[in-house]
Amino acid sequence: MQTRLWRDSELRRSDMAADRLGDGGGGSSGDGGGFRFPEYEIPELNTKPFLVKALGKLWKERLVGARDFSLEPPAPGSLTGAGGGEEDAAVAEDLGCSLETATELSLVCGLDKLKYCEEEDDPEVIPEDTNLVTLGLRKRALEHREETITVDRICRQETFAYEMESHAIGKKPSNPADLVNEGELILTLNIFYPVIFSKHKERKPYQTLLVLGSQKLTELRDSFCCASDLQIGGEFSSTPDQAPEHTSKDLYKSAFFYFEGTFYNDRRYPECRDLSRTIIEWSESHDRGYGKFQSAKMEDFTFNDLYIKLGFPYLYCHQGDCEHVVIITDIRLVHHDDCLDKTLYPLLTKKHWLWTRKCFVCKMYTARWVTNNDCFAPEDPCFFCDVCFRMLHYDSEGNKLGEFLAYPYVDPGTFN
Amino acid sequence: MGTPGGLHSDFETLLTRFQETDSVRFEDFTALWRDMKFHTIFYGRTRHMEKNKFTKEALSLAWKYFLPPYTFQIRVGALYLMYGLYNTQLCQPKQKIRACLKDWDEVMKFQQDLTNAQHYDASYILRKLRLDKAFHFTAMPKPLSYRMKKNIPRTEVTEEFKEPNDRVMKLITADTLEEIMNIHEHYQEMKQIISADKSQPDKALSLIKDEFLVNIKNLVLEHKQWHEDKKKLFTKVKNEDDQKEKEGSSQELEGSERAGALAKIKSKAYSIVTQASKSRRHRQVKLEPLESELVKKLGKTPCSKRNKEKLESEEETSSQIKDFPAPKRKRRC
Ligand SMILES: [Zn+2]
Ligand SMILES: [Zn+2]
Repeated sequence: MQTRLWRDSELRRSDMAADRLGDGGGGSSGDGGGFRFPEYEIPELNTKPFLVKALGKLWKERLVGARDFSLEPPAPGSLTGAGGGEEDAAVAEDLGCSLETATELSLVCGLDKLKYCEEEDDPEVIPEDTNLVTLGLRKRALEHREETITVDRICRQETFAYEMESHAIGKKPSNPADLVNEGELILTLNIFYPVIFSKHKERKPYQTLLVLGSQKLTELRDSFCCASDLQIGGEFSSTPDQAPEHTSKDLYKSAFFYFEGTFYNDRRYPECRDLSRTIIEWSESHDRGYGKFQSAKMEDFTFNDLYIKLGFPYLYCHQGDCEHVVIITDIRLVHHDDCLDKTLYPLLTKKHWLWTRKCFVCKMYTARWVTNNDCFAPEDPCFFCDVCFRMLHYDSEGNKLGEFLAYPYVDPGTFN
Repeated sequence: MGTPGGLHSDFETLLTRFQETDSVRFEDFTALWRDMKFHTIFYGRTRHMEKNKFTKEALSLAWKYFLPPYTFQIRVGALYLMYGLYNTQLCQPKQKIRACLKDWDEVMKFQQDLTNAQHYDASYILRKLRLDKAFHFTAMPKPLSYRMKKNIPRTEVTEEFKEPNDRVMKLITADTLEEIMNIHEHYQEMKQIISADKSQPDKALSLIKDEFLVNIKNLVLEHKQWHEDKKKLFTKVKNEDDQKEKEGSSQELEGSERAGALAKIKSKAYSIVTQASKSRRHRQVKLEPLESELVKKLGKTPCSKRNKEKLESEEETSSQIKDFPAPKRKRRC
């Protein structure tokens, strides 16, 4: 059975259907409707559908490229405040004021006006004589933190998260050809794990990836790694050494994304199956009121070509039944401080720290084997790391001892 | 995540104090900023993630005050606030200000207002933020992650900072108009009573124009009409926008039509802006069209002479500083 099915999938499907009805039966993408401003459909939650590349077009119409979104670093003169004569002339021209005024402006509006250079001005220390409410609250929070001990673990996780988020910031490619294009869009995607632990009821774990508008859907599909892609089928208790040869990703290449009424199927390999066909046929064979679904080739579409709602749950399905909810949370123009190396996208920026299943024996290492009907095990199923599994179940020559069934196990936390 | 409680109140304290200065000068803003040591708002031994998050929230809260329905002065204050926060933040690289597509058109309108009113310091700072690449140009004001929140906090607008819908209509309502009418009637009656000829007031008592009341009434009605026309034009422009989306082909033509309409409003709105005294300029931006009408109307009646003279004398002062409206010296004169 489809044990990994996302629990809300029924609910979600009916949402999608309702949405399609609201669409007035019109074409799903590419037409003039895409040139709308993105606006809320449900306030604070998700937008109405729009064409991704239309957003880039609207922005570029409004901005002065070289000035607003060029990938060159900001002019050094403009950072120091008092610019040279050249800068003053530019200011005078832009504002329509005299050169004299421009010079004075650079002094009056200088950054030094925002800071006293006092003797003891340490950003680590909250000043004693402050009247800012924010600082009062922060002071109390920090004091409370110092008194409690739970900080360490949170701190480690946060450091990890911070490094993950910022590791590629400002990176430039070694080959200039790999430089991200000016005016390119960056999309932020949250891809949820299919696991349903009760502890994740409130907040489902997910990972966050950045993709470029010009990238193909298949590029995301290829870079996205899920534990089920690495699952290895089969019972290997007699031949444990032969176990990990083919991972599921090699064996089952079919996959699809679902966005706004269209299934984008990966059809690059002859062995790929149109996974969406069953769903489409099912929907069409009965009058289920889901409207008409369409099917397209994943490899033919870039993110720019998509017609999507921001904040709305869509779907990625692979391995036949491993379903991931996908939410596009943000789209913006690429910025000089972003990772500018094309080859590093899709870029993983956040990953939920999943609890790993530890070996039952050593309680230290992550499980790599799971056994059933195991005469040595106190529970069924039971999980073991590779070393403990072999030590317990085989003699020094590698002969199987006792009765048990053994399956290779890939822990979702392996990717932490 | 909601905005940390303190930020809201600290921003409002700063902006309220700025409001009290009756100025839009950066110089006046920085005096308050320094007095409150506002750059220390980022201080304290916090972790990198916390710093990033706090800075993002501070910038996005400041952005809210930068947009309508806040008054022109508050919006200038918010611009300075963003400039201050952006430049004194401790994040490396700096956190950016999220500008979404829908809001950007407001920002451009605002930039035009600044230029037209020759608020060079504010123009300079907006220009500088753009040059420093302080913005992320986004689709929506914030990322949308479909979190099943039980209660989404409503964004409340601080009334004190808000642009009143219509100051004139607030001042002269139908009731006050009726009241004035009654008083006038009473006044005329009193004059008749004390006059020699009881059927008509003495000439010596004729201190105001008889049509004074009718003039006020007409002015108010005219203003109301203007206000409604403006609203209609606004919705018309919006509809044209929608049309444009649908058609797409005749975009340019309609675009220029729209530009023309906007230019008309603007030229009307700023017709005498440069004549206004600089210290009050920020207030007059919105009221100008009415006042220019007033001047025209009142110009016909003798009692308005003084008023006109006053305006002219102001014009004199402003012509003296016309060439140099830079904030520093401006405040001195
Ligand atoms: Zn999966
Ligand atoms: Zn072990």
